[in-house]
Amino acid sequence: MLLKQAPAVIVQVKDHGDSDKIVTLYTLDEGKISAIAKGAKRSKKRFVNKLELFSLLNVSYAPGRTTSLARLDQAELITNYPSLHQNYGQYVAASLLCELVLFWTREHDREDELFQLLTWALEGLAMGVTSAQLIIFFHVKMLEILGFRPLLNGCGNCGTLAPQAAPYRFSPMRNGLICGQCEHAPSGPGLEVSMQTIQLLRKVQELDICKLPRLHFSKAAILESIALLKRYDSHLLQRELQSWNYLQQLL
Amino acid sequence: MNVVPPALARLIADLGRLPGIGKKTATRLAIHIMRRPASEAQSLSRSLGELHGAIRLCGKCFAFSETNPCVICSDSGRNRQLVCVVEGPGDLMAIEKTGAFRGTYHILHGALSPMDGIGPDEIKIEALVSRVRKDKVVEVLIATSSTVPGEATAAYLIKRLQEETPAAVTRLACGIPMGMDIKYADELTLSRAIESRKNTCD
Repeated sequence: MLLKQAPAVIVQVKDHGDSDKIVTLYTLDEGKISAIAKGAKRSKKRFVNKLELFSLLNVSYAPGRTTSLARLDQAELITNYPSLHQNYGQYVAASLLCELVLFWTREHDREDELFQLLTWALEGLAMGVTSAQLIIFFHVKMLEILGFRPLLNGCGNCGTLAPQAAPYRFSPMRNGLICGQCEHAPSGPGLEVSMQTIQLLRKVQELDICKLPRLHFSKAAILESIALLKRYDSHLLQRELQSWNYLQQLL
Repeated sequence: MNVVPPALARLIADLGRLPGIGKKTATRLAIHIMRRPASEAQSLSRSLGELHGAIRLCGKCFAFSETNPCVICSDSGRNRQLVCVVEGPGDLMAIEKTGAFRGTYHILHGALSPMDGIGPDEIKIEALVSRVRKDKVVEVLIATSSTVPGEATAAYLIKRLQEETPAAVTRLACGIPMGMDIKYADELTLSRAIESRKNTCD
């Protein structure tokens, strides 16, 4: 069978039986795929040190004939981002990046930009960029790429974005903001967000990723943004992403 | 038509739940048990039945044991000031098999894995820190696996133990396996071996 080759990031690894592993990869060419690595747990040559979480690899794989599970044939390690294993905060943040990709994407749904964004974020984390801020940048940009950009340019009801209309609340059900004056409109449980956080998140939406590190979030803005993104995830995915809780404990 | 007697089918289903055992192996094992004398099957069933009643966790190191403290923790010949931290009971057995370690153990029962909902509170980290403080442990040897969760757990433990206890914290060396030709070692292992090189005068 013809083998496919692609650069890929490992976003999940599970043991399968005594000697195999099932890895979920986010590839440049095919988006998210799951592949079985036969004998990976005992392999001393082919897969040793390579099939670890966060690793960036060049993989060769044979697509599954009857199922969506591919068979991993070879893997060449590009980098394993060693510093992400040696610092608990960075490890938690990188785990959250992988969990976001794992649950926000569908198999075989190619998104080149998301692959670039993921490697950019992992590199940034490995270089020591503030974890929480990087998670916010990644999450906002990921939502944009996947077509779930929240509307932060004004109240979803009256369209205004002005300090006089504060406090603003973020409503996942309305996919955006609702101002203090329109709050009586039925919008489900909202989350209060300050004007400063709204402006910062809008800036993240507008700026190119190479310019994002210039932005600085205050502690309060980080806490608000993370609460907002976590709530948005829970609403749209209908599940809790485990790593959010550990990241919040570190803030 | 079901040709397998219900009692045998139940046994096959039970054996099939064990790790690494598929339906074929479970059937082979069940037929083997049935062919052997009844006393052997009764002995097996007694051992299984008594397992949970007889075995508990050692209150000190959290190893599976019939006594509390376990055989290793109550052995006076062991160095109680030296504690080796491992992820699971299988790791303890592997280290014990070497015969090279004469200290005591601490089993974490897992490794940090935020994606699976395993944080510091879900494994026996708090118990380790208080044990090191209370028992005035001199050295803690971190022997978690060289996987990403194992390394992250080690990093977390090293930081906490250095901040909160006076004990010296060491990490299991990582390098080339015995009998391996250097040119066949992968880059990562080889670079780790170079980093952890040892002064031959020591």
